[in-house]
Amino acid sequence: MAKRGIKDTDLLDLFERAGKNAAKTGRLLEALLTTIPDGSHLAGEILEAEQKGDRITHAILRRLDTAKRPYPDVGEIHNLASRVDDIVDHAEDAADAIVRYRIEAPMEQATVLGRILAEAAEEVEGVLRDLRRGNDLTSRIVELHRLENEGDRVSREGVAALFAGGIDPMVVIRWKDVYASLERAIDACEDVAHALETLTLRARHA
Amino acid sequence: MFDGYIPPALRLSFREMSITESAPSSHSDFLPQAPTGTLRIAVVDRDSGFATVLRKRGESLGWDQRDLTQVPSVDALVAMRLHALVIDPTLAGPQWAETIEYLRGNLPELAIIITTGPSSVGQRVRGLRAGADDWLTKPCHPEELIARIESVMRRRRPVAGLAREPISVGELVIRPDQYQAFCEGRSIDLTRREFELLQLLAENRDTVIEREEIYQRVWGFQMAHGDRSVDVFVRKLRQKIEKLSPGWEYIHTHFGVGYRFSPEIPVAEPIRTIKPKSKTKAKPVSK
Repeated sequence: MAKRGIKDTDLLDLFERAGKNAAKTGRLLEALLTTIPDGSHLAGEILEAEQKGDRITHAILRRLDTAKRPYPDVGEIHNLASRVDDIVDHAEDAADAIVRYRIEAPMEQATVLGRILAEAAEEVEGVLRDLRRGNDLTSRIVELHRLENEGDRVSREGVAALFAGGIDPMVVIRWKDVYASLERAIDACEDVAHALETLTLRARHA
Repeated sequence: MFDGYIPPALRLSFREMSITESAPSSHSDFLPQAPTGTLRIAVVDRDSGFATVLRKRGESLGWDQRDLTQVPSVDALVAMRLHALVIDPTLAGPQWAETIEYLRGNLPELAIIITTGPSSVGQRVRGLRAGADDWLTKPCHPEELIARIESVMRRRRPVAGLAREPISVGELVIRPDQYQAFCEGRSIDLTRREFELLQLLAENRDTVIEREEIYQRVWGFQMAHGDRSVDVFVRKLRQKIEKLSPGWEYIHTHFGVGYRFSPEIPVAEPIRTIKPKSKTKAKPVSK
């Protein structure tokens, strides 16, 4: 019977690359959010990272599909790959909205969310690296949950500030979309933690 | 030209005008030159049908109308950057005359036109004395109301003209008539919003203006908490001015508060010479 968990080194390589790509995207988006409107060129780099992320995810799925022996946790591994890809996808949505809506200036809460996303994506990079090394993932998973909670709080504050009354409706529409994408990107980081928890739990109790 | 109904009284006035002076070539010729090009009005009235009819007519003239169902605060009115306010005083309650007086006192440049149901002579006199520019009894034709708004704006034109005088500060000449600032005849190449920001700061020389107030008066809305638009636009403005007037400092930051416009030539700090520390121990002086 095949061992549970991810033991395939090629697959682990691909996950490590996906984690690095997510972390890079997080850093780029953080920089974009703090340098609006001058950093709009960063949106192009984020789009490239999103396309790279898609290619890595496809490579993971292809590897799962063409494996000689079926993976016992194929569903969980597929879920993990999709969640890492979601981080980059939602980050790209946020970057695209900033440029498409021609947002003129940074918003403090969005800048904080950008910092939280960058930290969470770095944790994802770290946790996927640790997965290969067989390190204990607990502390990183706990940190991802903490960052997600902080992201939720800041996002709510940001949306509440938009509905304070008398705010330009265009500002509300633009930033509400950006906040939603940022929150989804941070949520995806926590989803990676959930997917890894399931994988490690199954591996331990196999 | 009027493309809709022209009340007989107005037709007559056109005819009369054509005898004494050349008739205007278009309806917009009647409009005063609004400071920002578009006439912005707010209609404070519970009658949504009245507001809608006026809006449709106003939109065809390029007017920008806001419909309100209660009397807004002075701050909110400032934020809307209105030229005229059409108000039904019954919405202000029994203290309506005091409300008009308060609005007039705080917003002397705002045209106030009262439109309401049948009223007594005493009420109309009270309203006009409280500061209303005109009083129109409902039901009224929207064209008549538009003509009255235009009439009030025409009377106010000389006041608006004063605000369009160039402002000279430091090496800068701010030209409201051209929405541009110049340095020794060269355009600073400001966008409309950058210009409005510079104009606001320059008109309040040596006064610290809070970010929130700047946003309200330039953007026309309340500033969302955390919005850095004012800082970004001040930075852009400084960069553009500095290109053509590098020897001067015009806009000063008051951290945590806002900005102050005071043209100054920065005093160069004296260059301090730093003595290099000797790493080697001083040799004992030989006797």
